[in-house]
Amino acid sequence: MTAIEIERTHSAYEALPPRPAPFPRFFRETALLVGRALRTIARVPSRLIDVTIQPLIFTLLFLYVFGSAIHVPGPYQNYLLPGLIGQSLAFGVIGAGTATATDFTSGVVDRFRSLPVTRLSVIAAQVIGQILEQILGLLIVAAVGIGLGWRPHLNVGSAFELIGLMLLGLFAFTWFGVLMGMVFKSSDAVQGVGFAVVFPLTFLAGAFVPIQGMKLIPRTIGDWDPLSSLVAAVRHVCQGTNSTGSWQLTHPVVSMIFWCVLITAICVPLALRRFRTTSAAK
Amino acid sequence: MANNDLVVVTDGLTKHFGDFVAVDQFNLEVQAGTVVSLLGPNGAGKTTIVRMIATLIKPTAGSATVCGYDVVKDSDAVRSVLSLTGQFAALEDNLTARENLILMARLRGYSRKATVQVTESLIERFDIGEFRDKLVKSVSGGQRRRIDLAASLVVQPRVLVLDEPTTGLDPRSRQVVWATIRELVAEGVTLFLTTQYLEEADALADYIVLLDHGRATAAGTANDLKSQVGDQRVDVVAADAAGLEKLVIGLSSDFQLKVSAEQRMISIPAPDDVNDLAKVARAVHDVGVEVDEIALRRPTLDDAFLALTGQPLSSTDNDNEVEESRS
Repeated sequence: MTAIEIERTHSAYEALPPRPAPFPRFFRETALLVGRALRTIARVPSRLIDVTIQPLIFTLLFLYVFGSAIHVPGPYQNYLLPGLIGQSLAFGVIGAGTATATDFTSGVVDRFRSLPVTRLSVIAAQVIGQILEQILGLLIVAAVGIGLGWRPHLNVGSAFELIGLMLLGLFAFTWFGVLMGMVFKSSDAVQGVGFAVVFPLTFLAGAFVPIQGMKLIPRTIGDWDPLSSLVAAVRHVCQGTNSTGSWQLTHPVVSMIFWCVLITAICVPLALRRFRTTSAAK
Repeated sequence: MANNDLVVVTDGLTKHFGDFVAVDQFNLEVQAGTVVSLLGPNGAGKTTIVRMIATLIKPTAGSATVCGYDVVKDSDAVRSVLSLTGQFAALEDNLTARENLILMARLRGYSRKATVQVTESLIERFDIGEFRDKLVKSVSGGQRRRIDLAASLVVQPRVLVLDEPTTGLDPRSRQVVWATIRELVAEGVTLFLTTQYLEEADALADYIVLLDHGRATAAGTANDLKSQVGDQRVDVVAADAAGLEKLVIGLSSDFQLKVSAEQRMISIPAPDDVNDLAKVARAVHDVGVEVDEIALRRPTLDDAFLALTGQPLSSTDNDNEVEESRS
């Protein structure tokens, strides 16, 4: 008897319950991994600052430094804040990309992948965690904006429309970022490419100054820049303003939905395939 | 031999990355309850083999099974019987030691209640109590490794795969990790281990496979490999270059010398054991120069690796680390 008891305390392993069916298991594992991501956000406030500091600096810079030279109908806050929110959506690519690259090169994701865990849950948790982090960032930016005089004109219908558009945008651009993170495998590279491509595109997207006042070349780019539709759509829903210019600017909501669905349709299969077939660790 | 005695079997396992052949026709059988070590320098393909066996990458050709499950067709089953501790301690830096273990246990499927019990017993067993509530990013390398090992053992795996478990650790932490590994082996865990330290393979493994440029160049027990290299010898290390010269002149008439000027070392075959050592010592005494060291040596795995692959195993800085742990 004693021998058996000693044996038992020594091995100290509890019996594993039988494995649930794949579907509940996917939800359970995703929830656990999202929990890990959320805890990490709480532990590393600097990451949240990364998400919010840039739009906050831009808010102050454009509101109090450049703003007096920019002429738009109505208070500049009401022009600027929707622009910044549209821009933040696009910057989600960089945020999700750097986080994914870091995660994937640290070996943590490899460990998850070496466990009998639904593989889809690992990448789903990555996307959900990133989206939640960015929602937190967007709420901070919006709160500061309201504190500085931004007055969105929302009713129940347009509020839901805004939430829907934001979620769609977050979903599409986060998947884009996750794919970038897996392709470049280095947070520095993602950041470098991200800032070289996304940054100029947001300036041309009418986030800060109206596109129609730009010279021919930037105006043409801005007219067809997918990010322009994001900015114009957020502005349209928040303030009821209509943009002029290309078709996508006069139909910003439809265009934004089109771009986001297109990005999702391209990035999700590519990201899933990449996640399945390649290993990202060095 | 019954098939279920073989825990890991690879057959012609091959991995190409583009034109680069990382692993070429690798064959291996790991028997239950044994420790098998892959020994080779950086870039030999050790990690690639581990990653194929742990289902993280797919082989280009050949096959591998773990407990009879194919790593490609039954990858989920493989993952449930195998635990991997990768080369980079794969923990979440921003969670505490305890939270990391809890996460691993929950992902393995334990209920909350069972998770607490498993975690507590691992904390006790790996002596993690002292830093259990510290964030992983702020613990030392050795502590990190212990948490990492514990995280691999939230379930009792049929086979534990350790990829370079002590790379980058200081000698003391290395000893601790070795002690832990020996305990696991004593408990009957089958271990598949990669290392670039001869010392480590020598100390832990029942069976060693030398790996070089993706190919297995030799395999056997440590003694098998050493005996392929040759006999024991007396090494004399001169205190300086001038002393070495005098020793070479003084000893060359009576002994068959192999001189390594770089290490200021003379090697003399010593088939007659201590008698040869005494003879050499007397001759050195007669020459009358200072020596740093005079010792009877059996061939090391280092010699074996050099003899079997034509190149030394370790880079300079690894050498230093191995030396430190020897002293």
